[in-house]
Amino acid sequence: MSLQNPTREHSSDWVLLNMAARLKWLCGVLGLCLAVVIGAYWYHQIIRAEHYERLAENNRLRVLRLDAPRGLIYDRSGRILVENTPTFRLMIDRSRSADLGASLAFAAEILGREERELRAALERHRGVAREVPVLLAEDLELTQVARFEVSKEPEHPEFEIATSRRRLYRHSFQTAHVVGHLGEPTPSEHDRDASLAAGDLVGRSGVELLRDRLLRGNHGERIVVVDSRGRLMGEDVRRTDAAPGESVTLTIDLRLQQLAESLMADKIGAIVALDPRDGAIRAMVSSPSFDPNSFGGRLSQQDWDRIVDAPGKPLQNRAIQNTYPPGSVFKIAMVVAGLAEGLLRPEERIYCNGATRLYDRRWRCWQSRGHGLVDLRGALQHSCDIYFYRQGVKIGIETIAAYARRLGLGDRTGVELPGESEGLVPDPEWSRNRRGYPWYPGETVSVAIGQGPLLTSPLQVAVMTAAVANGGFRVRPYLIAGGGKPPEPLGLDGEVVSFVAEALANVVENGTGRSARTPVVAVAGKTGTAQVVAQATWIRSEDLPPEQADHAWFTSYAPVEAPELVVVVFVENGGRGSEAAAPLARQMHEGYFSAAPKT
Amino acid sequence: MLPQRPDPWPLVRRVRSVSWLLGCSALALSAIGLVVISSASADMSTDYEVRQSAWIALGLLVMAAAAAVDYSFLLRYAFWIYLAALAALAAVTFFGHEAGGARSWIGIGGFGGQPSDFCKIATVLLLARHMAEAQAPVAPRGWLWAASAVVVAPVLLIALQPDMGGALMFVPMLAAMAIVAGVRLRSALIALGVAAVVAGAIWIFALQDYQKDRLSSFFRPHADPLGSGYQVRQSRIAIGSGQVLGKGYGEGTQSNLQFLPTPHTDFVFAVLGEEYGFMGVTVVLGLLLLYLGNGVRVALAARDPAGMLLVVGLLAFMAGHVLYNTAMVVGLLPITGIPLPFLSYGGSFMLFCCAATGLMIGLDIRRFVNI
Repeated sequence: MSLQNPTREHSSDWVLLNMAARLKWLCGVLGLCLAVVIGAYWYHQIIRAEHYERLAENNRLRVLRLDAPRGLIYDRSGRILVENTPTFRLMIDRSRSADLGASLAFAAEILGREERELRAALERHRGVAREVPVLLAEDLELTQVARFEVSKEPEHPEFEIATSRRRLYRHSFQTAHVVGHLGEPTPSEHDRDASLAAGDLVGRSGVELLRDRLLRGNHGERIVVVDSRGRLMGEDVRRTDAAPGESVTLTIDLRLQQLAESLMADKIGAIVALDPRDGAIRAMVSSPSFDPNSFGGRLSQQDWDRIVDAPGKPLQNRAIQNTYPPGSVFKIAMVVAGLAEGLLRPEERIYCNGATRLYDRRWRCWQSRGHGLVDLRGALQHSCDIYFYRQGVKIGIETIAAYARRLGLGDRTGVELPGESEGLVPDPEWSRNRRGYPWYPGETVSVAIGQGPLLTSPLQVAVMTAAVANGGFRVRPYLIAGGGKPPEPLGLDGEVVSFVAEALANVVENGTGRSARTPVVAVAGKTGTAQVVAQATWIRSEDLPPEQADHAWFTSYAPVEAPELVVVVFVENGGRGSEAAAPLARQMHEGYFSAAPKT
Repeated sequence: MLPQRPDPWPLVRRVRSVSWLLGCSALALSAIGLVVISSASADMSTDYEVRQSAWIALGLLVMAAAAAVDYSFLLRYAFWIYLAALAALAAVTFFGHEAGGARSWIGIGGFGGQPSDFCKIATVLLLARHMAEAQAPVAPRGWLWAASAVVVAPVLLIALQPDMGGALMFVPMLAAMAIVAGVRLRSALIALGVAAVVAGAIWIFALQDYQKDRLSSFFRPHADPLGSGYQVRQSRIAIGSGQVLGKGYGEGTQSNLQFLPTPHTDFVFAVLGEEYGFMGVTVVLGLLLLYLGNGVRVALAARDPAGMLLVVGLLAFMAGHVLYNTAMVVGLLPITGIPLPFLSYGGSFMLFCCAATGLMIGLDIRRFVNI
């Protein structure tokens, strides 16, 4: 065409041909762009497919936990000590509230709280979709629950009542140190135990800690489908039911435990009662006590400090965690050591005029006017110090320490509870190694009457006493029914043990333990009065300031003929064992043996 | 040599494979779109698939009408059509009712319509006529400036609504038509420079904060996981989790549990990717390519520059929508309101696509008329 008409370069065909060429070039560009897009889809749908599938599942599926109810704790007769009780929580579905301010004011009025507090509670859930109910208040009372339910239709459909469980310690203060309490797990516990979720509570002391894993059970799971706003859609994808925690039965006798707690109500100290035949603990009280119920929910730092720093440190279990000089109850170990080694002869008499001189020092008897001539039996009966000073020197510290340890003093008893203290039975080797200076012979004199560096826990004294009661066996105290071990023979001559047993019965019958005597049952026992501070001159304990007053001990068992119960009473700064401790032991035995027949 | 008016019957006989392929691919894409829309809107209160069916039916009528009208007639009145479209656009921009933050809808008996879609055709018509005149032996100087002016007026009005995506789609249209019309490199560079300055001015003076957020979140998708970066992320999860074969009809969790934003309109391709996988994506892109390719065949066979430019302009709009939408839902480009031709729910855009198809078919039918 252009040949026919060379003057018209811009002929229609020429123009169209040029335009077509440029259009084809554009098509190439379009093709390249489409290839890039296809490549992107290839990358995401084929190469990264699994990654996105996981993300899509994460979007869609949510795991809801089904809490397992914590196991119950019973006493030896099946009485409930610890259970779970329903609690009511107030939830609010903000999307159903016409006026959030009015809703909060309404709730504040029923709850008797400030509207501002509720607003603050709501503020914590700001990131949550409006349709998802959020927590507004916990631990509602039944009357409050009723008022919310009544107002639900039609004025306040936004409120929902959710139920959950809360630990209930039925006998709060009375069983606190035995059953223990719950608390929030530490971050490292969370790391170690994957089954713990936010908001879970774990055992922090006592049986709650000891059997925590068993009591907790295993939580279940609901896998549900949610939409982008977190609303539940359709049926569960999978559901695993929770396995409730197992229950635990204790050896504790609730009535005896309650009695012990009431006896110690206004005192500081501990009472331990156990069965000398197998070590089953029937009562264990430490005073002052605490209310484990106050740990059930969230505990503010302030509340925690208030409990931990309360006068008398109520969280300490004085029956096993604190150790004290045993005072004259140690004389039981002295007699066993002396007789077993043949160093004491029961008929040997020593004259007590109220004081004696040993190692260039003057040593006083508690009875300043003296006991006159006393034999072994009399020395125990009247708790004559002079007799034991002298015999202690004769027996020697190594032998005393060896027997004291065999009887269970200065040694962990092996009770299941955590945090038990070892105490201390000193000897020259200990002095060299731990104190860094030699044993002074005069210290043996102190140890002979249960003073000096000696430290024992009330439970250790109970183990020693049980060995006398059961004919020479070391028991391992235990709290959880079925957890006992057969007592181990101490290898003591039967006559030695029966001599001590008879002497201890005589202490209650005619001696310093007379205030433990009861018509209900024949009791054997030994008093102890432990000095808290070394005294240069004799001062009556009653005249000392309270924190320096003597510790009162009384260890006992009954019935004398076939012992079933060992009772150790320890009163911190209580004064004389015969006055402050022995009467409490009597009440314990009376309470135990006058009740329904026991096994 | 005046074009003589052809009688209808020979006209129908001239319909050849190109037109059939154009029409059939458009119909197939619309049908696939219906299926995906009905799945994506299963939980919504409006029956979008029913409405979309009505729009498709109306679209077929529009397509037939557009094919029947002689495009040279439309080109003759292009200026007046353009003015009418601008007037309608100005009317809704300043008096229309708001939907989704943009004033662009005019109500037609319960169905919404956007004059900006009508304006696309009007603009292409005027540009085609104007650029065809530039093909004359003595080309008018500065025709690119006039062409740009023709485009800037509707773009500004649409941007004011504000509908950035709609305004943006005029850019590839103008570029493609100018290139095919034979723009000189120097003029193109100057025009680009001016456009950059104008774009900068728009960013500073005209963009709303949410629009700036969208644009900037594209470059930092993890900075704002719940904002527009969230939409890109959810869309990618939908597409990626579709894998090769997809999850099946109604099984897309991302779209049915409302993790995907607007699954029936702008994100319809993400739903397709989730429920039909890479296979579905390839089939639909193949159909779109078939459609565009046959459009190009119509353009190449055009009997005059105006006809070719008209088809190029319409195709550039379509291609721009296809590329931008598919790239945007997979996270290659910032999220903005750009629907996918034939698949996205939307009345006036469906009508635009059908009208464009009709015009191309009409051109194909008349390709020998003038020789």
